[in-house]
Order: sequence, then structure tokens, then C-alpha cells
Amino acid sequence: MINQNHPFHLVFNSPWPIFTGSSVLTMLIGTVNWMCTKSPTMMNMGLLLTIFNTSQWWRDVSRESSYQGYHSNLVMNGLRWGMILFITSEILFFFSFFWSFFHSSLAPNLELGLMWPPLGIAAINPFQVPLLNTSVLLASGVFVTWAHHGLIEQNNKIMNTNMMVTVVMGLYFTSLQAWEYWESSYSMSDSSFGSTFFLATGFHGLHVLVGTIFLLVSLMRHNLNMYSLNHHLGLEASIWYWHFVDVVWLFLYSFLYWWSY
Amino acid sequence: MVFAVIRAVAQRAPCNALTIGARTLFGVKMPKYGPDPLDLATGLEKKEMMARAAGNDDPFEIAAVKRGVGTREQPTEIPSMADSRIIGCICNEDSLYVAYMTLHMGEPKRCECGHWFNLVPGNGITHPSWIL
Repeated sequence: MINQNHPFHLVFNSPWPIFTGSSVLTMLIGTVNWMCTKSPTMMNMGLLLTIFNTSQWWRDVSRESSYQGYHSNLVMNGLRWGMILFITSEILFFFSFFWSFFHSSLAPNLELGLMWPPLGIAAINPFQVPLLNTSVLLASGVFVTWAHHGLIEQNNKIMNTNMMVTVVMGLYFTSLQAWEYWESSYSMSDSSFGSTFFLATGFHGLHVLVGTIFLLVSLMRHNLNMYSLNHHLGLEASIWYWHFVDVVWLFLYSFLYWWSY
Repeated sequence: MVFAVIRAVAQRAPCNALTIGARTLFGVKMPKYGPDPLDLATGLEKKEMMARAAGNDDPFEIAAVKRGVGTREQPTEIPSMADSRIIGCICNEDSLYVAYMTLHMGEPKRCECGHWFNLVPGNGITHPSWIL
């Protein structure tokens, strides 16, 4: 029996925040260590721990909402704002990479040959695999919206099918990018072009991977009957994140692929 | 061959396994339903939903209360499920600050602007009348 008279969710003591903080720190120190000593051990350990800790934290969130009912309208509103603010912080994260790209590319310096792409860099043709990637992400946005409507209209078949299609398209995008990375004639060390290109597209790829996992988890939670037609915040958040990833790709494609060609 | 194996497993898997939708893709008919929102809800969320369905727009009594007369004889009544409650008085429309004070049950209090408040027993979500 709930004894509180207020709509706020005063969370129970949880170890996951401090553990997640420690594991993320371990991962970041390990990443720097990997860059200096070529050994990825600490980074991999930190990554594994981060995955464990964040999964358990989010598992607790879904337990508190679906199984314990702590998510009143006010709490849901707060979570919506939280997701919006988080996505905004991610937009600013990518903004910094675009800044560094434009810093190097708008007025290329002497060492690059006063041109962009720099002399000697064979830029990837934007009308081949990158265009396919663009269409895959745009189409996945359509499918995920269709799936959302399927949930609202209580149509399980549409919901399941279209979410699966979206997840598969996300994985397809990731594999296409991986192939592009493998086949690329330039690396991250190849002048500021390579640095800015792989920094921005690399982080974008990581975000696509995270977004795909988020969508997959939402689909699994739906099949565990944790969502109703008007309370499915996890799904909404995953769809917002997916649209954000799509928009970032459109900017990446326009400036790093098309304009740079 | 692989397709046939996945199909065979998906059609026989219990509900919680392969929760990624494989069952719908391989011909098992999922029910065309979703949980009824009120039925799925539990705990605090369910109480709030039921209260709203019964017509109560402010089940937690956190909405701003419009001040009434506010004299000593007729103080503005603030509901509370506890013995004390912190309230904020916006003394006038152009106030640059909110005057906060703690009200205790049965003790009317006067804000600096002259307005009187009184804490009265409320009808919040844990009130017996809402327990169905």
C-alpha cells in the first residue's frame, strides 16, 4: 500500500549511481591508457563494468515503474524533460565535433594544400554507401513511428514487426559503416580530415549502437507487457533518441561527406 | 535451413524467451490487444489514475490555492494529510519573492502581507475515501 500523499518518487537507496560513476571513470582512464600504451585492458574492463552497472540501474527503473507503480504523471513529466535535456546535451556534444570540423575545413591551412579535402585524401563518394546509410536511417525513422502507432492502436503485430525492422536497419547501418571504415583509404591519423571525420562519425556510430540497443530493450519490455497504450515512456525515449541519431547523421552526411567531396 | 530452425524454436518458445518479436514474425498469432492502462497500472500510478477517472484533477493536493478573503475570522484553508505543511504566499501580483511559512494543524497563521491561512485536514490520495 502506498503511504505517500505526494506524487514525487523518492528513490530507495541504490548503489548503481556511484558504481556507474566509478566504472565510467575506469573506462575513460582506460581509454586514455589505451591511446598511450596500446593496452585496452582497463578500458575493456571499465566498459564491461559500465554495461553491468547501467543495465542494473535501468532494470531497477523499469521495476519501479512497471512493477511498483511509482511513475505518476508528475514523475513521467520529469523523465520526459530529463530525456529532452540529455538529448540536448548530446546535441552540444556533437556541436563541438562539428566546430572542430569547420575550424579545419572552412579555411584549410598550408599543410593541407589550402584545399578540402586535403591534397592526397581520397574522400568517400557520398552517393555510394553513405547515401544508402542515409536512406536506411531515414526509413528506420518511418518504421519506428509506424511501430509507435501500432502500440497506441493496440496492434501487436504492427508494433513487433516494425520495431524489429527498425532494429535490423540500425544494425545494417552499423555494419555498413564498419565496412566503410575497414575499406577506407585514410585513417584517423591522416591530417585533420581523418581526425575530424573519424571523431564525428565514430561517436555517431557509437550512438547508433546505443540507440539500437535502447530500441531493442523497448521492444522486449513491450513483449513482457510492461507498456500500455498511454504509458510507454521507455519506448518514447528510445524513439526520440533514434530521431536525434538520425538528424545528427543528416548533418554528418551533408557536411562531412557531401560538402567535403 | 537456419530459417527453419529459428522458426521451429520461435513457434515453441515460451512467452518470455525470444521476446524480441520473433513469434510474430514466424506466424504465431499474437492477440490484437494491449493491456488496459488501468488494469496494467499498479501502486501510486494506479491510485492517481483512478482518482483522475473519478473526476479529481488534483489527487495529491499540490495545485496552487487561490486565496480567499484571508481575514483572521475567515482564513484561507489549505488542505493537508500531515500535521504540518510548508506553503508559499504570493503577496501581490508584482511580488518579486514568495513568502514561505510552515503551517501547523489547528494554528492559523498570518503572512507578512496580512493574509491569514489555516491548515485543515485534506482529502489526499491515502485518504480512506479513495481506497476502493
